[in-house]
Amino acid sequence: MMGRARHGVAAFTGLVLGLLAIGPGLAPGFVLSFDMVFVPDPAFSRMTFGLTGTVPRHVPSDAFVTALATVLPADAVQKLVLLAIFVMACTAAASLVPSERLAPRLAAGVLYAWNPFVAERLLLGHWAFLLGYAALPWVVGAAARAGEAGGGRRLVRALIPAAIGGFAAIAISALTALAIAAAGRERGRSLGRTAVALVVLSLPWLVTGWLRPAGMPGDTVGVEAFAARADTPFGALGSLFLLGGAWNRETVPAGYGAPVTAFAWLLVVVAAVVAYGWWCRTAWARGVALAAGAGFVLAALGAVVPWLLRWAIGLWPGFAVLRDGQQYVAPLAVLVAVGLGVLVERVMRVDTARTDTAGAALAIFAILAPVVLLPSLAWGAAGRLKAVDYPAAWAAGRKIIEADTVPGDVLVLPWATYRSYSWNGGRTSLDALPRYLGRRVIVSDAVMIGSLTIRAEDPRARRLDEVVRAGGPLTEGLRAAGIRYVALDAETSAANPARGRLAGADPVLDQPDLVLYRIEAPVKAEDGGAPVWSAVLAWSIVMGVILWSFFVPASTLSAYFPRRPRRRRTP
Amino acid sequence: MRIAIAAVVGVVLAALASVFVVQVSNASQSDPVIKPLYNYGSR
Repeated sequence: MMGRARHGVAAFTGLVLGLLAIGPGLAPGFVLSFDMVFVPDPAFSRMTFGLTGTVPRHVPSDAFVTALATVLPADAVQKLVLLAIFVMACTAAASLVPSERLAPRLAAGVLYAWNPFVAERLLLGHWAFLLGYAALPWVVGAAARAGEAGGGRRLVRALIPAAIGGFAAIAISALTALAIAAAGRERGRSLGRTAVALVVLSLPWLVTGWLRPAGMPGDTVGVEAFAARADTPFGALGSLFLLGGAWNRETVPAGYGAPVTAFAWLLVVVAAVVAYGWWCRTAWARGVALAAGAGFVLAALGAVVPWLLRWAIGLWPGFAVLRDGQQYVAPLAVLVAVGLGVLVERVMRVDTARTDTAGAALAIFAILAPVVLLPSLAWGAAGRLKAVDYPAAWAAGRKIIEADTVPGDVLVLPWATYRSYSWNGGRTSLDALPRYLGRRVIVSDAVMIGSLTIRAEDPRARRLDEVVRAGGPLTEGLRAAGIRYVALDAETSAANPARGRLAGADPVLDQPDLVLYRIEAPVKAEDGGAPVWSAVLAWSIVMGVILWSFFVPASTLSAYFPRRPRRRRTP
Repeated sequence: MRIAIAAVVGVVLAALASVFVVQVSNASQSDPVIKPLYNYGSR
């Protein structure tokens, strides 16, 4: 199959996989799963752009969603984004297989879109990161040609999904793109362009994070908490090799890791890696292998030599980005997907003179293998991704707060980051109020994992921590800290001792899903985030560069370097 | 020969799918676990 049609088939396959995976999450409403929180009618605020002093992990993905939600219903935006991940992943991986045949490309596309890595990160709610993962094969293609005329613009376009995804998505893209640039021809120019593209597209979170007065957080407790863990019988390293091994036991798809199916999946992965090593010898393929190897080492650090990672974070807190190491297995997923595609190509290439039913059958099996071996990703990961409606009490609370002209922030109790809302089926999710309400909302962003607690990063939350944990009356302390409302979105019964601590505050809403107290005359408080001008400057540069990548001709010399035919997408 | 291989691979995949479905259905029937309300997750 030639031209755009084969990309269309891959895209359609990705769409089918996405529909299959999201399943009940496609019903009207919002899917809340761990870090994935979408809300109705989100509004732009200082938090959207990372200007509240918190660590800007949600920048610029929240801004992207908020912008889309101005023209589409927010729940539709969420479904669009989730389906786009599967469509992009399948299409991008398929485009990387050096074959004109459809079956090898589909084998790569299906494996890349449907594997333990995608399943665990999806359940963990890392949709923004998965945007970057999905586009990673396109980044491979663009990085391989970064040194050519127009290569910089092409690379910027390929990096846009990662740029939307933010920090983690850019991190895996940087690892991959820099390795490919280093392994290819015109090394100096390629590396220079790649580095500039990565830095420029990172500006929205890089600048606001860098200028954050509280500095860079780096709690070494997170090394142990976020280290890769074994979710197969092959230990943590074996699980990482099989593209699983995420730190959270609760995000492992049902039944994954059982000895029989894990061994079958191991055979698929080993066969794909061997095929890749045997038949993929181009410069970009060496670059992908380099990135996959380096990524695997980074992923294993927390599990194998946690003391080294703790030492590195002590030296410079920036190394904290390696705590959740499993995400760096992403380049290995590219390698495995391409390897499987190449293997199918070789199987089909034998004896092409006659109709080869057996070869076709083997190809179909290879395409179906990832789905057969991980069926519990289907139907919203066996019912774990379900769309729900926000309670009516939340809408009433938002109305009350929006109607109030007195400035002041909102404090959320219980004093914890994550919730298991009954109206969300008891599934774990981030507290949704910070995105749901238009005002600055302060929650404790300390993270509890088993018996471990990673300390809060938001300076306002850290300052209020003592007041909230003291156990005495809250109202005066909160008034002095600029709090106008206290919201209880869990444990809302009258027996909650927090209610007794709010003497002097007016209860303005009291429903099972939300209780709201108002504090009169709060003192004006400042967040102390990065200055607004820094975000304006960063966003202006990024938007300008993205526009340049689409609309401005490469150079006046471009006529002397004709672009490759469109159908040759394989680098 | 290759038809035989394809048939064997097909049978193996079908068997694996069956094993997996049984495991998933067994897992879904396990006793409910009371988990901490405010935890990010567990290792």
